[in-house]
Amino acid sequence: MTTTTEAPASQPIADMEADSLIGTFPEGQRLVGSQCNTCGCTMIGSRVVCSSCISRDVSRVALPSTGVLYSFTRIHVGTAGIRPLGYVDLDNGVRTLADIREGDVPLRPDMRVELGIDDDDWFFTPAAGEKRED
Amino acid sequence: MSENVFVISAAMIPFGKHRTSSYVGLAVSPLIDAIRDAGIEKSDVDAVYVGHSYGGMMTGQRICKEIGLGTVPTVNVDNACSSGATAIHEAWQAISQGLIDIAVVIGVEKLTQFGGGTLPLSPEDREVKQGIIMPAVYAMRATRYLHETDATPEDLALVSVKARKHGALNPFAQFRKETTVEEVLNARRVADPLTLPMCCPTGDGAAVVVLASERARKRLDSKPGIRVAASVLHSGHVAEGFRDMIKPEISYDSARDAYAMAGVGPKDLDMIELHDAFSIAELIYYEAFGLAEPGHGVDLIRDGKTTFGGDVVVNPSGGLLSKGHPVGASGVAQVAEAFWQLTDQAGARQIDKARWAMTHVTGGGTAGLDHGACTIHIFEAA
Repeated sequence: MTTTTEAPASQPIADMEADSLIGTFPEGQRLVGSQCNTCGCTMIGSRVVCSSCISRDVSRVALPSTGVLYSFTRIHVGTAGIRPLGYVDLDNGVRTLADIREGDVPLRPDMRVELGIDDDDWFFTPAAGEKRED
Repeated sequence: MSENVFVISAAMIPFGKHRTSSYVGLAVSPLIDAIRDAGIEKSDVDAVYVGHSYGGMMTGQRICKEIGLGTVPTVNVDNACSSGATAIHEAWQAISQGLIDIAVVIGVEKLTQFGGGTLPLSPEDREVKQGIIMPAVYAMRATRYLHETDATPEDLALVSVKARKHGALNPFAQFRKETTVEEVLNARRVADPLTLPMCCPTGDGAAVVVLASERARKRLDSKPGIRVAASVLHSGHVAEGFRDMIKPEISYDSARDAYAMAGVGPKDLDMIELHDAFSIAELIYYEAFGLAEPGHGVDLIRDGKTTFGGDVVVNPSGGLLSKGHPVGASGVAQVAEAFWQLTDQAGARQIDKARWAMTHVTGGGTAGLDHGACTIHIFEAA
């Protein structure tokens, strides 16, 4: 009688369960990130595999609430009216796409921005202390 | 030892809104024309490669059955806007490795099926869920380019003006009327700073090329053809953090590899068909291809270096901005333009003594990637 081994079944990842990027942490409501406990790579969203080293040892972490606006646009097409959207480089280096709420300070690349939460909506807005450049 | 591969015929329909045509209806005529122009019988075809993104199951087989072209392998390829060029790359690989002699490549797309608006992107994608659309991606590139260089919205408009000027000469182009900087700047805004004429129109299209080995070409009595000097396909690489949106690594790297494979450089090129889905893209790709130093692509459009009579004619067809961008068809249509230009069949838009051509098409809006795919081909008159 020969001994056989059975190949283990790979399992699907339930990545459709968490669809909100906002979570509650000790420091308050923050963007949800994931940090790899093997190589330290930090990523946006709830992830179960590290995109850098493919480790599955990944922890849920709060992302910084402040960062720098890399670029932005105002979308005029579609049904949402004029929608400002931008890429924000958070203070730990993670980039996220975000709705941008404009205040009195005109948007410009490289300005400091901070997270805002309004009911279920989250967005970034020019950080306190950002001044008009004109 | 890889074998030389040649494009021996090309055909396409005028791009536009062909609402009464299906994928089959769009593609069958250029398929027949390309086979006939190549001087082959359908029984000579060893394989069919079909680029499309939204055609659904068995698009290639649905097209080919209409002319009784079956039995041989038919491969359907989806790489978003790079689908058609990826299909050519696959055909080139098979022929250059000596596996087959003659391949038909079809690029086809019917975007009027969506009733207008921006391209549907995968709803599984994180940034798509947040509301990203392709015009916004390029608009953010433009915002950053204007921030880091001395380029202005007028420069973005100049790209569209050039595209329309070229498109006016091309019977295959969707837009055949010239425009002005003022008209472009005053047009409806899509995503700041991009206005409507700075964005390629959607539409329907189909283009077909026939590729052949040197052995097959000789057997066919050396019909006019162009040699594939380089065929490069890259995929995007994820960045969880900073990515320089005005130095897209996927196009820089693909161009570097294509030049190395072809043994030529940017100064050797007589024409380029590049992926001008939005006007800002053209300025960035001038830099990616080594036509200008980073930050100075804008000088080329201002100085008229990339139109007829300049250093290199970029998008003599009118590019995606004038010709339209039925995504799966665009990469094949670019190669059709290179074929016609290098075989002196480009009519009113013929570039004098064109010998070297490059085509470039990227594909896909995916969170974390610059682009999903990039395909570059370099061709030599032969």
